Amino acid sequence: MEGNILDAARFIGAGLSMIGAAGAGVGIGLSVQGALTGMARNPDTYGNLLTNMILGIAFSEAIAIYCLVIAFLMLFKVV
Amino acid sequence: MEHPKRRPWRRWVVLGLMIVGFVVGGVLIPVQPVISVKAENLQGEGVAWLHLPIVGELPLVNTLPTLVVTVLMIVVLAFFANRSMRRSQRTDLVPRGIGNLMEAFFELIYNLTEGSAGAKWAPVIFPWFATIMFYVLFANLLKLIPGFESIGVIHHIEHGGGHGIQALWGNWFNILPVEGGYMLVPFLRGISVDLNFTVALALISVVMIQVVGFRAQGIGYLSKFFNFTTMFKKPFFGAMDFLVGLLELISELSKILSFAFRLFGNMFAGIVLVAIVAGLLGKISILPSMLMMFELFIGLIQAFVFGMLTMVFMAQATQGHGHEEQQAEAHAEVHEI
Repeated sequence: MEGNILDAARFIGAGLSMIGAAGAGVGIGLSVQGALTGMARNPDTYGNLLTNMILGIAFSEAIAIYCLVIAFLMLFKVV
Repeated sequence: MEHPKRRPWRRWVVLGLMIVGFVVGGVLIPVQPVISVKAENLQGEGVAWLHLPIVGELPLVNTLPTLVVTVLMIVVLAFFANRSMRRSQRTDLVPRGIGNLMEAFFELIYNLTEGSAGAKWAPVIFPWFATIMFYVLFANLLKLIPGFESIGVIHHIEHGGGHGIQALWGNWFNILPVEGGYMLVPFLRGISVDLNFTVALALISVVMIQVVGFRAQGIGYLSKFFNFTTMFKKPFFGAMDFLVGLLELISELSKILSFAFRLFGNMFAGIVLVAIVAGLLGKISILPSMLMMFELFIGLIQAFVFGMLTMVFMAQATQGHGHEEQQAEAHAEVHEI
């Protein structure tokens, strides 16, 4: 078995950094759940809730995207 | 009631394009490109294009041509929309064609701004919202056009990776999925995949949020960050308020980071996903086009989110926490009347 220990460390680091995506998944799920419950109870607020839901999703998704950027930075040897 | 028979020729065009994609994907097999996070230099690594006096060397990166194309497209669209609106003004005040589309689009955005910022500050905030959203929308959607990321100059790389090449005709070459020392540097790379673009937009956005805040509240806007007002009345909670103000300052700085990386990360993840799926599947080039459809959605959402967040933060900056006092004053005025 031969290989570069630095490459191995990069792959492991990229994998570890993506753990943060789990939190973002939970956050997105919670916000969609809340919005859907609201829509089901009061269908008139559909448009308003949808806008705010997408905003909230974008906020929580940003956390996953930071993890993704860090993972990419490790994978493609930028730093 | 005789309807003329509809001839749905468009679906045949789509089917034809799918077949062409399948055949061409079988002949010219897509390969995994050398993905780089920063924009590639068209003239080769480390070659400077311009020497500016203060800034220093400026390389000709492949997002510069895209920037020119994007701005030209927006200017052309603005010209035609303006002409359409003028024509409708001269005739019967009914906008048609592109003017109608633009009017509907901007009316939607304006109503959104008015609902969130109030009628007083909507005319100040709306231009920033609309400009940023429109610009980012064009930047995101332009990179989905075929030819982006796939046509360019071929460079030799010294260390590691790269693919072999095959001469087609004349000066044209094709990249092969075998080991070799060559990589493709595309002429056009979407500008939102360049961190410089997103950081610049984020800086503009955050600086203008502060400017709008100062316009709305004057020097009192600073009390959001350095809060001495309650310090002497209630010592403990006053000190707490001061610390919260300092946290506000940090959160303002982190807005730049979050704005820039949100857009960049989404768009960069998009190109990596499309490239990896295309490289993995090779011949079956229908799936990457499905991912492109997903990219269309993501590009729209991200443009909307960038503009929307700018608008929401600006609306927050106009309100501040002298909110209750202003309301009290408004009530007092009502009573006087």
